[in-house]
Amino acid sequence: MVSSPRLAIALLIVVLACCVVGVTVFTPEPAWRLIFNTLWFNGLLVLLALSSGVTFLARTWGRKLTLVSVGMILFHVSFMSLLGGVVFNSLFHFKGVLRLTEGEILPNGDPASYDTVDAGRFFDFTRLRGETTLVKMHRGYKVDGQDKRAAYEIAVGEGSSKTTGIIYMTQNLDYRGVRYLVSKEGYSIGVVLHDKQGRELYAAMVPLQSLQRGENAHLYTTGSALAPGAFPFPPPPDSAALLLQVGYVPDQRKERAGQVEFFTWPVSQAVAGHDGARGAGHASGQAASIGGGKDTEPAASGKVAVGGTFDAGDYKLEAREVRYWVGMTVRRDPGLTVILSSLWAGLAGMTMTFIGRIVQDSKRGKREASSSEPGATAPKGVP
Amino acid sequence: MNVEQVLFWCAVGFYGLSAFAYVFGFIAENEKLLSGGLATAVLGFAAHLTSIALRWVTSSVTPFITISESLALGTLMAMALFLILQASNRKVRPLGVFVLPVVFVLIGWAGTLRAASGSQLAPALQSGWLWAHIVGATIGFSAVLMAAGLAMMFLLRENRSGGIYDRLPSPADLDRLAYRFVAAGFIMYGLMIVTGALWADQAKGSYWNWDPVEVWSLVSWLIYGIYLHLRITMGWRGRRLAWYALAAVAVMIVSYWGIPFSVETFHKGFRVEH
Repeated sequence: MVSSPRLAIALLIVVLACCVVGVTVFTPEPAWRLIFNTLWFNGLLVLLALSSGVTFLARTWGRKLTLVSVGMILFHVSFMSLLGGVVFNSLFHFKGVLRLTEGEILPNGDPASYDTVDAGRFFDFTRLRGETTLVKMHRGYKVDGQDKRAAYEIAVGEGSSKTTGIIYMTQNLDYRGVRYLVSKEGYSIGVVLHDKQGRELYAAMVPLQSLQRGENAHLYTTGSALAPGAFPFPPPPDSAALLLQVGYVPDQRKERAGQVEFFTWPVSQAVAGHDGARGAGHASGQAASIGGGKDTEPAASGKVAVGGTFDAGDYKLEAREVRYWVGMTVRRDPGLTVILSSLWAGLAGMTMTFIGRIVQDSKRGKREASSSEPGATAPKGVP
Repeated sequence: MNVEQVLFWCAVGFYGLSAFAYVFGFIAENEKLLSGGLATAVLGFAAHLTSIALRWVTSSVTPFITISESLALGTLMAMALFLILQASNRKVRPLGVFVLPVVFVLIGWAGTLRAASGSQLAPALQSGWLWAHIVGATIGFSAVLMAAGLAMMFLLRENRSGGIYDRLPSPADLDRLAYRFVAAGFIMYGLMIVTGALWADQAKGSYWNWDPVEVWSLVSWLIYGIYLHLRITMGWRGRRLAWYALAAVAVMIVSYWGIPFSVETFHKGFRVEH
């Protein structure tokens, strides 16, 4: 039963139907949840690999090896090893997003270092050794005259034995089987809280969201990925002095310069979840102005140049500097080599089979042409 | 309208004339019209090739980034393969009855989607794998389009004789030739999927993302895999496989250009957040 070609083709058709439904009926997230990441769908894939492999081996076992049969064996074995690699990888893989501001260091093995984590059932965090530092984010980075737009200079490793490198789109860094890939970048504002007398009370880098406003306009502000918002400053576990929303309007001519906007509220008011950006978008390519929440007017608001100080009543807020933060994708895919090698082996198998069949065809030539009737069913061949 | 655009629309016009000549030449069994179809196809190809070369030279950006450019390049490769086939085997001249109308419709659609070329290539697309991916995709499409054309010739030739039909290859030859093109297309399509996976791994760190275009490409590749199994393992020949090849090429055209046109997919381009 398992070695029936009809079963293999039936399974293939069912898998194809699931794929078509997954990408036409559903959007990516539900499709992933309801089909592609389910046990039953992955079980179907395994069954398909087993069925096609067993069917093929049952039909070719003991037969003479030719270019065609070796090519077909290579193709079918690669198909099975590909699925084996996929299953192994799904059990032991790791994917996380590591968010770092320039100069910041985070331990790789601590789950708290990652914004998001997706790991296989048998993945162990001790596999992620050492720490990662973002040395610098380069904008407009060029390699051989090609603009890579953004490149991250990073250092990964333990103690003094660190591997450093610059990563950008299409160039990642591999440290002991763990890959670091570029993902997204943004601005962080170095905000310093002073008392009325100018004494420094607290300092932190505040990462900003980039919210799309029109074709080429972005709004750089604190809040969520969907809307501007305020947060307690200093954040927990310190006791908050005020609620703060920070925005940034970059200088179009000078890197890390521009205007920083502050909005503050008394700490007693909850103002999270603002959805309204008060100012309209500026000219194309420039950041839009931000504003406070629609429900509660800020107690103080104003704009200062980077390096300047804003008077927020009982406190003063200094916009000390602008740095970049980056979100790096960190991946460990132990099955990747098997998967990618299987793809090449499969392609080689297909090519060998094709060449072998052309050679066979040429030998048979006119004999088969004259003996086979059009529309008829030919004798079943051996793959 | 610049020279590149003028040449592009000249190509569309020539292909239109060629399609007309092929279809009516075959219906009227008029050899002169068929020859005219071939001549205008050659003119269209020359204008088409020059238009794409000019676009590439003037913008310095590889001309296969947008859907319009992808359609233009895919049809150019199909025409190249068609003309090679015409030069190597005079008997398959009526292949143009199927190929030219399809090329005319696709390139005409590309014309409606045309936009100015970008000044620089997105960082994610600055990869050598992209070249192998595009070569696999365009040759794969061309091969299965020829296979579908040969399948249609098989259906026209089957059970008919006399006149123009006697000058066509035998049904068995057409059947075998279609199978060879499917097998070649299957390999090139495989090359496209493999190099696409390697490119995605390089750019996104993930070789497979269940993106609609990825999945549809896999689906149409497997549809041709089923074709090969039906022929080799199940012994199918002739009419059934010819209809299958015609249906399969329709699925392939939809997966190549219909899906990226209609759903959200990373094959529409890349945006890096700041």
